[in-house]
Amino acid sequence: MHHAFKLGDAEHNLELSRSASAYRLHLGEQVVDVDLKTGADGRAWLTLGERHIEVVIATRGDDVFVHLDGEAYQLRYQHPLDRLAAQAGGSAEDHIRAPMPGSIVSVSVKAGDAVAKGQTLLVMESMKMETTIAAPRDGTVAAVTYEKGQTFDRDALLLSLEPMEKKS
Amino acid sequence: MTTAQPDVSKWPFQSVLVANRGEIAVRVLRTVQKLGLKGIVVYHAADRGTAAVKMADQAIEITGPTPVASYLDGAQIIAAAQASGAGAIHPGYGFLSENKGFCAAVEAAGIRFIGPTPEQIDLMGDKVRARNFVEKAGFPVAPSAIEDDDPKTFVERSRKVGAPLLIKPSAGGGGKGMRIVRDLTLLEQEIERGRSEGQRYFGDGRLYCERYIENPRHIEVQVLGDGQGSVVHVFERECSVQRRFQKIVEETPSPALDAALREKICETAAGIARSLNYRNAGTVEFIFGQGGEFYFLEMNTRLQVEHPVTEEITGIDLVLQQLRVAAGEKLGYGQADVKSSGHSIEFRIYAEDAARGYTPTTGPILVLHPPQGEGVRWDSGVLQGGEVTSAFDPMIAKLIIRGSDRNDAIARADKALRETVLLGCKTNTAFLRRLLQHPAFVAGDVHTGFLDANPQIAAEPEMPAETLQALLGAAALSTRPMRDVADAVPDMHAAMGGWRN
Repeated sequence: MHHAFKLGDAEHNLELSRSASAYRLHLGEQVVDVDLKTGADGRAWLTLGERHIEVVIATRGDDVFVHLDGEAYQLRYQHPLDRLAAQAGGSAEDHIRAPMPGSIVSVSVKAGDAVAKGQTLLVMESMKMETTIAAPRDGTVAAVTYEKGQTFDRDALLLSLEPMEKKS
Repeated sequence: MTTAQPDVSKWPFQSVLVANRGEIAVRVLRTVQKLGLKGIVVYHAADRGTAAVKMADQAIEITGPTPVASYLDGAQIIAAAQASGAGAIHPGYGFLSENKGFCAAVEAAGIRFIGPTPEQIDLMGDKVRARNFVEKAGFPVAPSAIEDDDPKTFVERSRKVGAPLLIKPSAGGGGKGMRIVRDLTLLEQEIERGRSEGQRYFGDGRLYCERYIENPRHIEVQVLGDGQGSVVHVFERECSVQRRFQKIVEETPSPALDAALREKICETAAGIARSLNYRNAGTVEFIFGQGGEFYFLEMNTRLQVEHPVTEEITGIDLVLQQLRVAAGEKLGYGQADVKSSGHSIEFRIYAEDAARGYTPTTGPILVLHPPQGEGVRWDSGVLQGGEVTSAFDPMIAKLIIRGSDRNDAIARADKALRETVLLGCKTNTAFLRRLLQHPAFVAGDVHTGFLDANPQIAAEPEMPAETLQALLGAAALSTRPMRDVADAVPDMHAAMGGWRN
């Protein structure tokens, strides 16, 4: 069973198994003994090999938030089935999602348009600030979800590109 | 300075309505309630669970087409004040705090406006009139030439301003059509190009010129006036660390000033306030050149976001002074009574992603552990269990640090930022720590373009392999499906699992 977390833009594959006393984390070739003990106030101690690290952890749905060594991080669990579907349906670059909540200022392309990497697809506005969404790669626009003036939440699908043709 | 607690029983108001939200509503309520006055807030439904609403003696819901619009609806807020019997309104900052019409309407309704007079708001709210007033009163404004004053002599007058010069379209904004002239032999040519750009961008070719300040600092001075002849300054604040033209770190004293220059700039600010017979707390902002020259920029006739650093080094409660003056009291102390000690720095904690162009973030506040300790002050309007939405400004808290000197304050700040736990929504605390460790910041050598010139401070640093391991371990152990799969394998096999790969 393969599991993965997304941290920033990177996806990390991992597995978890039992050890005699706690758990083992498998990262590629690496295997590390791990354990987690949580106190009442949300502060917790993470065992990583020989180290014991104080952390604060909160979860919400598939998101895991970790405060570690003075900084906060967000990881998102990738469900195995979703990952399979995503692989069948093309890469993440095919789906352009909202980086933050906002509204559409203008849309520069329509379904069927050929676009080049870096080309402006649409302009969105969030908190009085405009952000340009550009094509992540060369391709053809499959669908545009929103029209000018419409609002959306973070991670809403703004626009999708036709999947890349598989090399045979 | 320690001022005696006023006898509020003689005041013309016994309750104060705060026409604001978030951390500043909490801040104002704290002083209002400490005095034994009744504290009232108005709130939009989006703010129902916030600290200000919970803390207030009375909270009145207001409505509007958007949450922001409800806080801008002066008539509705005055109606709420009348319904609750509020004797005074504190506008906080932003929203209606510098709205002449609101100020006049409040006073017309027989309610005290905790702020300046409508005329003072009006004068300082108009940049050109404010500049002319300050210049006529004999205080320094950036040398400039306005084409409209006399188009025929514009080139000649611009030449007199001296290089380096900045040419700006009169109708402009957002930096479009602006040209820097360092060589005056190119002046006429650059004016023509500026005119054609102004024409193209704004359909208006009129221009004006002003002295261009290279790598300027933003230094402002806190003033207090009672409108009855007394004005003092409460020292300066250095606000040069900015991103997207917004301050993010403010401190006092300014590392750029020696005692003589401090006295000069602070006295200039007090003089400007005095020439207005200013009433209320206010801030006179200056643009400060690397050579020590400074010019009036604008005056804010309200409490500033960064007022706490001034409070920390002087012991003066600025909200209390605003209330006293609005109640008709005289300041009752002079410049010599205002003293400072130590150093204070404020960090604005924003829900934003510095590495992605400081774009705002939203999310639930699942865990909030504010930092604690000596010299640590946390001014915030959000609570654990609350949510950061896109309805309002992304500032969620202010961390204010006091130290015996600047280095002490920086060390305490680093520790406090490290200990600030806020989970559920990305904030700029890690970025602020990188900023305060930067050699230029440590040396106090920053200008308003500093962050733009050093984008690496905002960039996400590479993650050490051990940190990544710890994060993935913590995440895996906190994710039910992963634990379930691991726990489903009997211990016997688990013991062998280590060899499986």
